[in-house]
Amino acid sequence: MRAMRWAPERLVGLLVALPVLLLMSAFATLAIFLGVRSLATTEPELLVPLVSLGATVVGLFWLLSPLLTGVALSETHDVTRLLHFPVPARTLVAASLVANLIQPAVLAKMPIVLGVAIGASPGVAGWLPALLGVGLSFAFILAADQVATLLLHGLFRNRRARDVGLFVGLGLGFALSLLPVLFFAAGLPRLGALRALLLEWDVFSLSPFAWGVRAAVYAGRGDAVPFLAHAAAAAAALVACLAVAAVLVRRIHRGELDLGGPSSGAPGRPARMLLPGTIGALLEKDLRVAWRDPAIKATALMSLAGPLLFLFFVFQARGPEGVGRGLLMVAAFVGASSFGGNAFGLERRGIALLMSLPVERWRMLAAKNAGALVLRLPGVLVLAAAALVAAPVFLPAALAAALVAALVAAGVDNYFSILFPVSVPEPGQSLGAGGGRRGFAAAAMGALMFTGSLLLASPFLFLAWLPVQLGQPVLWLASIPLAIAGAGAVYAMLVAGAAGLLERREPEVLERMLSSAGDA
Amino acid sequence: MADAPSALPTPAAIEVTGLRKVFRGRPAVDGISLSVARGRFFGFLGPNGAGKSTTIKMLTGLLRPTAGHVRIEGLDLERDLLAIKRLTGILPEELPLYERLTGEEYLQFTGRMYGLTREETRLRTDELLEFLSLTEERRKLIVDYSQGMRKKTALAAALIHNPRVLFLDEPLNGIDPVSGRVVTDLLRRLAGKGVTLFFTSHVLDVVERLCEEVAIIDRGRIVAQGTLDQIRAQREVGKDATLEDVFLKLVSADVRREDLSWIA
Repeated sequence: MRAMRWAPERLVGLLVALPVLLLMSAFATLAIFLGVRSLATTEPELLVPLVSLGATVVGLFWLLSPLLTGVALSETHDVTRLLHFPVPARTLVAASLVANLIQPAVLAKMPIVLGVAIGASPGVAGWLPALLGVGLSFAFILAADQVATLLLHGLFRNRRARDVGLFVGLGLGFALSLLPVLFFAAGLPRLGALRALLLEWDVFSLSPFAWGVRAAVYAGRGDAVPFLAHAAAAAAALVACLAVAAVLVRRIHRGELDLGGPSSGAPGRPARMLLPGTIGALLEKDLRVAWRDPAIKATALMSLAGPLLFLFFVFQARGPEGVGRGLLMVAAFVGASSFGGNAFGLERRGIALLMSLPVERWRMLAAKNAGALVLRLPGVLVLAAAALVAAPVFLPAALAAALVAALVAAGVDNYFSILFPVSVPEPGQSLGAGGGRRGFAAAAMGALMFTGSLLLASPFLFLAWLPVQLGQPVLWLASIPLAIAGAGAVYAMLVAGAAGLLERREPEVLERMLSSAGDA
Repeated sequence: MADAPSALPTPAAIEVTGLRKVFRGRPAVDGISLSVARGRFFGFLGPNGAGKSTTIKMLTGLLRPTAGHVRIEGLDLERDLLAIKRLTGILPEELPLYERLTGEEYLQFTGRMYGLTREETRLRTDELLEFLSLTEERRKLIVDYSQGMRKKTALAAALIHNPRVLFLDEPLNGIDPVSGRVVTDLLRRLAGKGVTLFFTSHVLDVVERLCEEVAIIDRGRIVAQGTLDQIRAQREVGKDATLEDVFLKLVSADVRREDLSWIA
């Protein structure tokens, strides 16, 4: 609330988001209630294994969420910051658990907990024990999350471990987010096999995340003994988790549990700036920084996925004959993705350093754009490989289309980056850290500029595509150089204009960047 | 370009007239004027929030003044910004270094940005790293550096192109006493060779030892400027008064003498 006092746009955002959150929570609650109730009546034998699976999946995702999303570990989890106060560790752990429980995102799950409990228990008499069971599972998820986060906090004291964790976590999260797409794209899922697996083996009966919800289902059925056994097991697991958390807090703080400590940093090879000239040095600096920043490296590698998915759908929808034209479309998409590269975003607080250098601003922009193009090379390589396999004759045109779209999009993006400068978060910080957002006006202007860049690039894309339309691939010998030269000329004009704009707006860019990077 | 380019002859290295910066209607710097002669070791003092860093940011072109004029080595800051950047070195208080470069890479990058050749850059990098006792750490990423090592790296970067004017914002913060002595000796030698140093620090005895002239800023206004003797005379403090005494008197510091009520 205090933060909102100075940022009315956040209050507006919250007021807009609140009804949506409530609606989504209500919808999820209703859907889960109906699902559980329907299972309980139509296929009661599936209810226990399915809710066990659900609770385990939710628990694991919750546990890994700081890694999977690549965002900061919540400060509320970091009880080690409070250890110098004369308060027992168990009190800190319990207080932290309560603090986590009353976070808005957690509170929004409460109706869902209620929905599961009431759904699992047709009779009113079973509601209270069912709610107790689901509540135990929920509390265990929070407590296990706390243990995992304490371990991660300890582990991430080592910068290298933190970098690796972020990189692997981001990659894993991204791969998981693609699973549903691939799942449905590959055809109907084999639900029958999953059902057999769940019924035959009931593997999730061993998951402590599931014990509470299993107790809830037994409570709903009026089976007192299994309810009591599962509820007792869930309560014991919860207490054990809290005890582990308290022990970890003490041991990590006192250095008894060595999870790496501060990174000593191994000596590397001698430094050599290989690329010539000012633009070369700036480009090399950006590439080195990007490669050593786990979040940027992961993002660069993830850029492979977009073209891969597009190509997958192109191959599915058009068959081998139409692949060539599809490739040109994908190439234009890969190139146009240079818009949104955020020329100065990766500088973060280093923007003050960059702007203090006596380098012509057009060189700076050209180096930034070159860096953005290099980071998109994985996508271009995917495109080239697909062209080589499916339609080799389209390869030059596809690469030319990617290049001309990239040049024009990068040139236009400079204006967007100067007019709406914003810093990307530091590795491991949340995406909204430091208020690094541009707002609705910038989003609208961005959409307009992106459309403009496509319009500007369209004559050159047309030139690259024309020989296909005419059925005369030999014309590419003339059309591709023309397209590249034209796009190059447009890019040069765009950069010259953007450099002038940057010179005029440099202090404003600095102020905005430094405030979005969290500079006081 | 090896060293700083030549500039118009002028008696003052830094000339500031009516410099003003207003943030949200509140003046952070309120019409200051000062002049620093070439080769001077100039101390710029003030309590927290007085406007020191804002002034340095404006003098180095990182913040646009609301009003006023700045000339560095005779060049106008608005018109000749790039030329001024070639002449100056900056050690900012916040140290926004590229943390994912090694110290050696960072210095090589900085040298190249100032137009030094590869050979010059390599030579100066080696010398600076050796001089500042960073040779053993040269191939570590800056993200793994201690605060003192970062400060020394930033200082090396500010020096690598042999600037005519150095802006140093709290250069001794976080540096151990041994390195502190090395740095202060170096700064003295630079001043002796005609480099102008614009220096801020909260360590007043260091300022008293190093600076030939000081300006004291309080709430955005310069409240005193000159040598320590001149300021003592202007403000009618005793001849034995230290810079700290003068400073506290000038900035109206509310130094509480009484004890806290709950401390026995």
